[in-house]
Amino acid sequence: MTAHVDAPEQGRTIASGPARRWGLGAGLVLAVALAAVVAGLSLAVGSNQLPLSTVWRGLFAPDDTFEATVIASRVPRTVLGLLVGAALAVSGALMQGITRNPLADPGLLGVNTGASAAIVAGTVAFGALGQRSIFFALPGAFVVAVVVYAIGSGRTGPTPVRLVLAGAAIGAVLSAAIQTVTLTNPEVFDSYRFWVVGSLAGRPASTVDMVWPVILVGLLAGLALGRPLNTLALGDETARAVGGNAGRTRLLGALVATLLAGAATAAVGPIAFVGLAVPHIVRTITGSDYRWLVAYCVALGPVLLLGADVIGRVVARPGELMVGVVTAFVGAPFLYVAVRRSGSGL
Amino acid sequence: METWNPVTGTENPGPRRAEGTTSPSEPVTSGEAPAVAPVRGTGLRLAYDQRVVVDGLDVEIPAGSFTVIVGPNGCGKSTLLRALGRTLTPRAGHVDLYGEPLASLGNKQIARMLALLPQTPVAPEAITVRDLVGRGRYAYQTLLRQWSASDGVAVRAAMEATGTTDLADRKVSELSGGQRQRVWIAMVLAQDTDLLLLDEPTTFLDITHQVDVLDLCAQMHREGRTLVAVLHDLNLAARYATHMIAMRDGEVVATGTPHEVVTAEGVEEIFGLRCRIITDPESETPLVVPLVTR
Amino acid sequence: MNRPTTVAEAVAEQAESAGRRGARRLLPVVDEGHLSVVGVVVPWNRRATLVVTAALVLVLTALVLSLTLGRLGVALADLPAVLRGEGSKTEHFVVFTNRLPRALVGVCAGAALGISGAIFQSVTRNPLGSPDIIGLNAGAAAGAAAVTLVWPGILPAPVGALLGGAVAVTLVLLGAGRGLQAPLRMVVIGIGVGAMSLAFVQFAITRTRREQAQEMAAWLNGSLNARSWEHVTIIAVALVVLGAAALALSRGLQQVEMGDDAAVALGVPARRVRLLAVSVGVGLAAAAVVVCGPVAFVALVAPQVARRVTGSAGPGMVAAGAAGALLLVGADLVAVHQPWFGSLPVGVLTAGIGGLYLAVLLTREWRRGTL
Repeated sequence: MTAHVDAPEQGRTIASGPARRWGLGAGLVLAVALAAVVAGLSLAVGSNQLPLSTVWRGLFAPDDTFEATVIASRVPRTVLGLLVGAALAVSGALMQGITRNPLADPGLLGVNTGASAAIVAGTVAFGALGQRSIFFALPGAFVVAVVVYAIGSGRTGPTPVRLVLAGAAIGAVLSAAIQTVTLTNPEVFDSYRFWVVGSLAGRPASTVDMVWPVILVGLLAGLALGRPLNTLALGDETARAVGGNAGRTRLLGALVATLLAGAATAAVGPIAFVGLAVPHIVRTITGSDYRWLVAYCVALGPVLLLGADVIGRVVARPGELMVGVVTAFVGAPFLYVAVRRSGSGL
Repeated sequence: METWNPVTGTENPGPRRAEGTTSPSEPVTSGEAPAVAPVRGTGLRLAYDQRVVVDGLDVEIPAGSFTVIVGPNGCGKSTLLRALGRTLTPRAGHVDLYGEPLASLGNKQIARMLALLPQTPVAPEAITVRDLVGRGRYAYQTLLRQWSASDGVAVRAAMEATGTTDLADRKVSELSGGQRQRVWIAMVLAQDTDLLLLDEPTTFLDITHQVDVLDLCAQMHREGRTLVAVLHDLNLAARYATHMIAMRDGEVVATGTPHEVVTAEGVEEIFGLRCRIITDPESETPLVVPLVTR
Repeated sequence: MNRPTTVAEAVAEQAESAGRRGARRLLPVVDEGHLSVVGVVVPWNRRATLVVTAALVLVLTALVLSLTLGRLGVALADLPAVLRGEGSKTEHFVVFTNRLPRALVGVCAGAALGISGAIFQSVTRNPLGSPDIIGLNAGAAAGAAAVTLVWPGILPAPVGALLGGAVAVTLVLLGAGRGLQAPLRMVVIGIGVGAMSLAFVQFAITRTRREQAQEMAAWLNGSLNARSWEHVTIIAVALVVLGAAALALSRGLQQVEMGDDAAVALGVPARRVRLLAVSVGVGLAAAAVVVCGPVAFVALVAPQVARRVTGSAGPGMVAAGAAGALLLVGADLVAVHQPWFGSLPVGVLTAGIGGLYLAVLLTREWRRGTL
C-alpha cells in the first residue's frame, strides 16, 4: 500500500513516495512563478505596450509617470484575473471530483447559466445590482447545481454524459428565460449582451472587493477537501468502508464549487471551459491526488485565464477580444480531448 | 428423453433437399459427385481498422452440416463467421456462396440464400414479436410491395417452428432472455434460407435456455438446413455439431467431427487446457473434463 | 404430421393456393398491418393513422387560429371571403402578406424538423440524436451572425447559416471519431461546438448597435417573423422532395435500427442507407434553418412525442412530421399572442419547452436504465 490513496482514474504520476512529493512541490513553485509571469504580462500588454522592467518599477516604486498610471489601471483587472482563474479552475476540479466525471465544468453543467439567470432576474426586479449581484449569483448557481445533479443521477448515479446532458437541458431552459427577459427589455438587453460574453475588462474596481473574500474562502476550503475527495474517488461503498462520508464530502464539495463558480460569474460574467481544461492539464502532472490537483489549479487557473485575456488583447489590436470568447475557443478542444480519453463511458 | 445422436440425425433430410446432400457422418468423397460447399472462404484476410485478426485462411462448410466454430477468446471465430456472412468485407481473399463469389451477388439475393443472426442484435423499442419476425422477410419485399400473403405464412410457420406463436403480440422487450433468443431465431427462420449462420446464439443464456436454443438449431438442421454457429461452450459444441472447426490466433488448427477435434491433445493445443475426454453418456459425444491442477 | 413443418414448405403451399385464387385485388384491403390496393402494399398502423389524422386536424385549426387571433386578426366568418380575395386592403395585407406565409412556413419547417429528427434518432438509435444537438443549429447561428454582424454584406444570411451549420456538423462528426456509431460522444462534442458557436454569436452581438443587435438576437433564436412567400416556396419544395426521400428510406432505416450486422444480413445496404438518410436529415434541418433561423428542440421533441403517442416501432416519418408541424405552429401562436411579454421569437419558447422536455426525458430514461 502506498503512503497516500491513489484514485483509480487514469493519470500519469511522475514517481511515488517522497521523491514525488519533492518533485510536485518544486513543480508547484514553478507554477506559481508562471502565474506571476503571466500576471506581469497582463500588466504589460495592451494598447500601451510596456516593458516588464517598467511594470516592476510601476508596482513597487510608483511615481507620477504615465506608465505608472497605466499599470495602476491594469492592476484590478489582473487581480481579478488571478482570483477568477483560480476560482474557476478549482470549481471545475471539485466538480470533477464529486461527480467522478472528467467532463464536469461550471459552464457545461449549467451552473454559470444559473448564476446569470439569477443576476438577470435581479436586475429586472431591482435595477442595476452592482455589488449586490453576488447575492443573486450564489444561490442561483447552487440551485442549478442541485437540479442538474438530481436529474443527472438517474438510478445508478451520475455518469459523465448524463450530467453534461442534464446541464445542457437546464441551461437551455434558463437561456430561454433569460432571452425572454432581455428581448423584451431593451435596457437590460443592452447591458446583458456585453456582460454575458465574460470579460475582465471594464469591471469596476469594487468588483474585486465584492468577490475576494468569497473566493479566498472557497479556495482554502477546496484545498482542505483534497483528502476527502481522494477517498470519494474510490467509489461510494469503498469510501464508506475506509471511514469516509461520501454524502457529506459531496455536499461540501458542491457548496464550495458553486460558491467559487457563482462568485466568478458575478464578477466577470459566465466563462466556460476553464474549469474543464485546467484540471485536465494539471492531472497529467499530478495524477489524481486531489490535494495536489487543487493546489496546482490555484496556480495554473490564473495562467489560463490571464493568458487568454492577454491573447485577446494581442490578437484583436487595437480592440480587444473578450476573455470569454477566447476560453471558449481554446477550451472547447479540451472537451474533445476529455471525451476521447474517457474511454468506454462514451 | 431418448438418446439421439446428432451425427446420424440427418439421415432423412427434409423434403425440399432433393439431391446432393450427403449425411455428414459419411465422408464426402464416397464416390458420388460431391455437393457444392454452401460456403467456402479462400485466402481470407480479415481485419478491424489496423488490427489484422485472420490472415491467409481457407475454410469450407460441408453441405447439410451443423458446423460449430470453437476456439479461445479473440481467436477470430466471430470475425470468420461475419466474413462468411458478408457483414465483414475481407481485405484479401474471397468467400464463395454455392460456388459464386459473394462480391458478384446482390445483397438481397444473398439474403435469400443465407441468414445471419449477429451476436447482439438490437430490438427496436416497443416492437412486438410478430413484427420483429416479420422483419426477416425484408429480402422478399420491395418498396411498393411491402407485404404479401407468403410473408404472413412464412412468419407464422417460423413462429410455430420456434414455439413462439403464443408470444406473437407481446413486446420483445418484455420477454425473458431465452424467449427473446427464440424470437430472433424465428426472424432468421422467416428469412427462409438454406443456410443459417449464428454468432454465439447462447451467450448470456442460462443452461436451460442454452440447451433449448441448441435443440431448436438441431431441429432446423434436421429439416435440411446447413447451420454454422460460433459457440463458446466446447461441450455443448461437441454435443450438437456434426462438423467442428477449431481456431486459435486467427488460424484453423483442426477440422472434423467432434470425435476428431475434441481430443485431449487437441484441447490442450487449442485452449491450453489439460483435460481428459470422456464420452457424454446421453449423447455419446466427447465431454471435456479439465484435470485438477494444484 | 401432415401440416407443413418447414417455412419453405409453408410458403410453397401458400404460393400454390394464391396462384389458384388470383393475387391482385382492386379494392383496398387491410390485412395483417398492411394496406394493399392494386398490387401496392404498404404498412398500415391503425392507431398511427388516427393519431396523424388528429394531428393534421389540429394543425389546420392552428392555421386558422393564426389568421383569426389578435387585434389584427380576421373574424372567422369573414375568413373564407378574405381568402377568396374579397376582403379589405388591411385584411388582405394581414392575411396574405403577413400571417399566411408565416403560418405556412411554420407548418412546413416544423414538419421538416420533425422528419429530420426522426431520421437522426433512427440512425443513432438514440432518442437524443437530433440535428440541433450535433451542433447544426448553433453553427448555423454562428454562420449567420458572422455574415450579418461581423463581416456584413459578405454573403446573404441564409447562406452564412448553411455554411456555419455544415462546418459545425463536420467538426462534430470528425471529433466524435466513430461518428454516428457513437451518438453520446457526438452529443457531448456537439455541446462543445455549440459553446464555441454561442461564444462567437455573443461576441458578434456586442459589435453592433443595439437595435440591429436586438433584431439579430431575435432571429438567432429562431423566429417566424416577417416570412415571405419566397420562404414558403423554399421550405415547401425541400419538404416535398426530401420528405419523399425520407419516406422511401424509412423501410431500410427500420432494419438498420436492429444493428448494422442484422440489417446487412437481412439484405439492407446498411451503410448506404445511413449515409443517404443522414444527408436527407441534414438537408431538411438546413432548409428549416434557412427559412426561420435555428429553432431549438423541435427536431428532438417531435419524433419522440410521435413515437410515444402512435406506439409504433419504426422511424415514423409521417407522424414525426405532423408532430413537428403542430409543435412549431402551436408554439408560434403562443409566442406571438401571449399576454405577458411582447411578441417573442418562437425559438425562445421551443428552447424553454424543449429543455424541460429533455430534462424529463433524461430523468425518466435514466430511472428506467434505458439510456
